[in-house]
This record gives sequence, structure tokens and C-alpha cells, in this order.
Amino acid sequence: MSIWKIAWRSIQYRGLGSILTVLSMSLGVMMIIAVLTVDGVLNESFRNNSSFGYNLLLGARGGGLQLTLNSVYYLSQPIETIPYEYYLVFAKKEQRAREFRNSIAWNALERQRQATREISTRQALPMAGGIAGLMQGMASEMLEQHQRAFMDIDRPHIFAGYTDYAIPILLGDYYELPKPPGQEDSGQAGKSFRVCGTNSDFFSKLVLNYESQEKISFAEGRAFELDDPEAGFFGCVLGATVARESKAKLGDKLVVTHGVPGESSHLHENQPFTVVGIMDKTGTPHDRVVFVNMEGFFMFSDHVKPVGDESFLANRSKTDIDRTDQPTPIAIDERELFRQPIPVEQRELTSILLATVNDDGYDLAGTALQPLLEQGDLERTLKWSSFRPVRSQTSVQAVNPIGEITQLFTLIDPAKWLLLGLTVMICMVSGLSILVGIYNSMSQRHHEIAVMRALGANRSKIMRIVLGESVLLSVASGLFGWIAAHVLNWVLTPMIESQTGVTLGFWKMAPGIPILSYLPGNSLLPPYFLQWIVSPELLLIPGLVLLAVMVGIYPAISAYRTDVSRSLGK
Amino acid sequence: MLTLANIKKSFRQPDGQVTPILDVPEYEVVAGEQAVLVGASGGGKTTLLHIIAGITQPDSGTVRIENIEITRFRESTRDRIRADRIGYVFQTFNLLPAFSALENVILGMTFSSGRSSPARARKMLERVGLGHRMSSRPNTMSVGEQQRVAVARALVNSPRLLLADEPTANVDPANQQNVINLIRETCREENIALIMVTHATEVSDQFDRVDRLESVNRIMARQGVGT
Repeated sequence: MSIWKIAWRSIQYRGLGSILTVLSMSLGVMMIIAVLTVDGVLNESFRNNSSFGYNLLLGARGGGLQLTLNSVYYLSQPIETIPYEYYLVFAKKEQRAREFRNSIAWNALERQRQATREISTRQALPMAGGIAGLMQGMASEMLEQHQRAFMDIDRPHIFAGYTDYAIPILLGDYYELPKPPGQEDSGQAGKSFRVCGTNSDFFSKLVLNYESQEKISFAEGRAFELDDPEAGFFGCVLGATVARESKAKLGDKLVVTHGVPGESSHLHENQPFTVVGIMDKTGTPHDRVVFVNMEGFFMFSDHVKPVGDESFLANRSKTDIDRTDQPTPIAIDERELFRQPIPVEQRELTSILLATVNDDGYDLAGTALQPLLEQGDLERTLKWSSFRPVRSQTSVQAVNPIGEITQLFTLIDPAKWLLLGLTVMICMVSGLSILVGIYNSMSQRHHEIAVMRALGANRSKIMRIVLGESVLLSVASGLFGWIAAHVLNWVLTPMIESQTGVTLGFWKMAPGIPILSYLPGNSLLPPYFLQWIVSPELLLIPGLVLLAVMVGIYPAISAYRTDVSRSLGK
Repeated sequence: MLTLANIKKSFRQPDGQVTPILDVPEYEVVAGEQAVLVGASGGGKTTLLHIIAGITQPDSGTVRIENIEITRFRESTRDRIRADRIGYVFQTFNLLPAFSALENVILGMTFSSGRSSPARARKMLERVGLGHRMSSRPNTMSVGEQQRVAVARALVNSPRLLLADEPTANVDPANQQNVINLIRETCREENIALIMVTHATEVSDQFDRVDRLESVNRIMARQGVGT
């Protein structure tokens, strides 16, 4: 019979006491794993997902952390916007030229030139007016040259040289899931997901993980195009979680809400977005987002920034897309008017995801660009804008999202360590209950120990039996606590996944840490050992065994010292 | 088989006074012999058995078992010799309540050098007539059954010497003779030397060799304590 079986029988014999001891210690273990899991979820949803392919985030000046939470993790309240022209600063020459042609300024120029051409044509017919017409034509050409030069349209902006890619982000709208039957009129907001306006670069250029260069892939369908053949400006792509929870299919129409649902929001009922793609699961916050074509997003009246010169929109105002007397929905073919994108001046962005060019992993461009942007160089170097009042100000901030998250964790980490310390203390107290349990039973067990001694058991074997009992109680507590914590994780997985995009499941363990690097005197160890990554959960059992030995040693010594002759006589 | 020479043992009282308990110039039991040691309570019978078993060290003198002088060994070696060569039946049975009858018997083999054999433990329980109570806990068994389990546990290792310390003291008269018969027959069959301590004349009368404690222990002789 092994010493483990003898120890186990003793545990069984003290039934209720053993169960209560295991229960209290299991709760301690469960709490440790809960803290580690919360830390793991935070790590995964923030720190790990900050290994993305872009390194700068541009947005309205304010809190860098809020900008990061908003634009990277789709959390926190919407923030101030920045002019769309700022995005074009980072665009390639061709894109700049194309988009400038869709500006109020450019169209005003075009109308002016057209008028000039008409005058010159009329006046060129009579020979006498030919010279005057020629002069008018020359004036028109000069006007265009001046305008092109003023708008800096023929060459890339100086900042474009720093840029690998830039992706515009618009936030503020939500997609609310249909309420379950019977709760339609409850007045409470249903479950909702963020809506993110962007362009097709988001799907083709954004790198989800810098190390693996992983990009977004599609479970069904495809990315929307600028002017989508199927959905026009109103195409949308669903994140995996949104698709699963909404049960939406390709071709379905989604109506988005302006503002947070339930908080003075209203539906953009007249123009739903058509689902053209469903993303594969990424394990990132993107899974919980509805990505819509920003061209369509801009068209809602409350997304259009008012500007001084509304003449370009004179005809548009007659059939505003949000007018409630419009039949719903309006076929895109019938809305030819809305095939004309909103002019650049009337566009606003929440932020710009900016990947700077790097040289063999050295982000010199990003390092150089961030201070320039922070100093207001972007506003100062803009050659044209309808936003003159802010041009001379530093209205934009450029933050490094990884830096912001690291800073966030410098605030969270002490709290985590405090919680861990408390839970470890709970385990220590539970460990003491093992000591008390075993020690209290010693008076009765001195006789049993004496009998075993009389049967030939030596002192060290008796000591090992008592220690074995302590170890068994601790390991059983560890296992029960681990299982209970992971069952809890498994039960809460759907909720955590929908809130954070992190999938836990039963087997998911807390992220590994270089455990040996925390040891004092670690400099004596070879570097290989210092890089040894192990989940703290795996250290629980050895830790508990150590605790068991510590709390079991005193009763074990007491057992070791048992006076056989005296105890046998009792 | 067993030879004691010049064994002396005294205990220190709480008031510091040293009280001599044992002074055994010589005592010998040969292999397969069955001896009974009779004497009044407090005469040092149990202490003598503990010294023979190596549980207690004498102040002086030697104990030889099969020509091995166990008194010169350290405690852990004496423990192993006891586990391998000596069986012990207690007055109060001393079965462990957390273990079944079978496990109590196996426990007797656990600390010996050889491997535990559940089959032999079962065989021993069947031999003492408890084949049907193997999984029973001691607290569900009668006193007689408990003592039979204790006997099976003492004999399961095939010891060369069996020490029985008043094995029938707590057994009802009806079962007393059964226990005595069981112990004596088993020892005879396996050629095990037996030293049984008792103060019951109905038990001692059955033995060919009866040693009175005062004739073995000079202290008792000096004090003139008789049975």
C-alpha cells in the first residue's frame, strides 16, 4: 500500500473537515485563476491586438488613450472629428488628384472655367471679339494653374513620403440587433454593435498582426468597393461576431442608428446598407464591428459637415437621404443623385490609421513623423482647405497606440498585482486551514501513527504520509479550483467574446510570462532560461505543493516525534 | 531464535526520580516455541515486549533475534527488522478505523522489505474466518472479528516471532478461546515463535512453557510482586 493511499484514507476518514478544507482552498485557487484570466483577457484584447500593422493614429487633439480606445478597440464614447483633407495629405498623388476633383473648390473652379469657355466661345464667333475671347481662355487656363498650384494637386504631399498606407475611420453610428419577440416595445435599447465607416483599403491593406502580416479574410462574400456594383455607396462588411449574433446573410439590408441606441438616437431608415461580405473571425475587436462604405456613411445629413458654400449641394437638398417622407428603402438606381460622392470639404473623419514606411523593421519614418504632426506641421503645410480657422492651430494629435496601451497597463498592472496578492493570501489562509485540520487530528492520530510504527513504519515514512496528506489536499484543491475557474470561463465565453472579442473556452490558460526572469539573481542563469515562457496557471500546482509542504511540515514533525510506547498504551 | 541478555530499563518520573522497570539477566525462546509470560499489571510486561520488538531501546543489554543483535542498530533498521521478522498483536487490537479489514491486513505488509500481496492478505483473512468481511470497516465488526483481523495482520508477513500482548483481554469469553486457538495453531503451522503476555490463568494453563515475570525480571523479584 503506497503512502499516498494511506494519506488518502486518512483524508477520507476526516470526511467533512477535508471537504471544507478543499472547498476553501479551491475558492482561493479559483480567484487566482479569475484574476489571471481577467489579466489575460485584457492582455489579449489590448496588448496583443496592439501588434497591428500601423504605428500611428491621427485624431482630434485630446486624450491619446481615448483616441486609441475609440479607434482601435471601438470602445469609449465618440470623439471630435478631423477634416478629411488631413487624410488626403497621406494619400498617393493619383488618389489626391481624384479626390480633389470631388471638392467644392474644384467644382467651383470648373463652373468658373465653363462659364469662361462659354463666354469665349460666344465672343470668338465675331472676329472682333476673338482677341477678347482668347484672353478669356488664357485667363481660364491661368486660373486653373493657379488653383492646381494652390491646392497642391500635381504632386504628392510631403508627408506622403513617410506613408506606407493610411486608412480613414469614421465612428459614431451603431447597428442595433432586432429585439427578441415580446420586447419590441420595451423602450430599452437592444444589443448593439459599432458601425465603422472606412474604405476598401481597410480590407486590402490593414495588417492585423505585424509579425505574421496577417490580413483580413472573408468567410463569405468580399470587401465593398468605392462604388460597389452590387450595393453602390451602401455596401457593408460584418465582423464575425456581428454576423453570428445577427444571423445576417449576404445581401441582407442593415439599418444603422445615428448615435448610441436609446440615447436620443435615430435610425437611418431610408438607406440601409447591403451586406456584401462577412469576415473570418480575427479574435480582435474588429469581430464586433459593422464596416460600412464611408461614401454612403458621409451621405447621411447628420454626417455632412456644413460649409459656407452650399451651392454645390443646392440640388441635393431637395432629396435629402434622411428625409422621412421618402419611400423606404430607395433603390440605388433611382437615386442617381447619390452616386455623386459628398465633396471633400464636407467630410469629417474620426481618425486615420497610419502605417509609416519602415526600413527593415526600423520605424524611422514614424519616429520622425510623430513630432512633426504633434507640432502642427500638418495644419501648417496644408496648401488648401476650407478649414482656415484651424489651419494655424494644432488640431490634430498623432499617438502611438501601442504606447498608449502600454501606458494604460502601467495603471492596471499595480491593481492586478494587488488582486493577485490578495488571492494568494486567501490561498495561504486556506493552506493554514490544512495545517489546523491536520494538526487538530494529530491527537487522535498519534495512536494510529504508533500502530503503524509498531507494524514497522519508520519515522520518515510516517512524516511522508502526513506530508502526503497535506499535498493531496492542496493538489485536489488546486485541481478543483482550476476546473471550477475554467468551467466559469467556458460558461462566460459567449459574454466575454461579445464584449471584448476574446474567446476563452475551457482550455484557454492565462498568457505565459518569462517566469525565471522574476527570480532574484536571474543574471546568473543562461539567457535561454530567462526567455522560458510559462503560463502562471501551470505554476499553481507546484506552488500549492510547496505550500502543502510548508503547512504540512509542522504536523509531520509532530508525527515524526510520536512516542510509540506511550501512544500505544492510550 | 530470541535471546535477551542483561536487559535493563528504567524510566524517569516527572519528579526526576529514576524508577527501574526491567532487569532481565537472560531470556530465550527457540524457533517455533510458544511461551506465555504472566504477571501483574505494571510489572513491565509491555515494556519488555517493546524492547524485544525494537520499539524501545533498553538502557543496557542486548536483544538478538535470529542471531541479529537488534539493540546495536539505529531506530530505522530496527523498524525494518520488526516489519520483516516480528508480528505484534495488541490488547486493544489497534486496527486503523480509516481502513477496511483487508487494508488493515495489507498495512501489515506495507512497511516490510517484501512487496505487499493483497492475495496473501485475503488468504490470511479467509484463514481467520473473515473472508466475507474483507471490505468491512473495523467499527462495523464485532470485538472478536476485530481481534481476528489483528491476528491476520500480525501474521501476514510470516514473521519469525509473534508478540501478543494480552490478546484476549478485551474479547468476550466465548471468543477468547477461538482467538487463542487461532494464534497458537497458526504459529505452530508456520513455525513461528510465540511470546504471549497474559494475566489470565485460563490462558496460561494451556501453554507448556509459562514464565512468571518475577522469575524473569529481577526488579519484580526484588519487589516481591507476585501474580
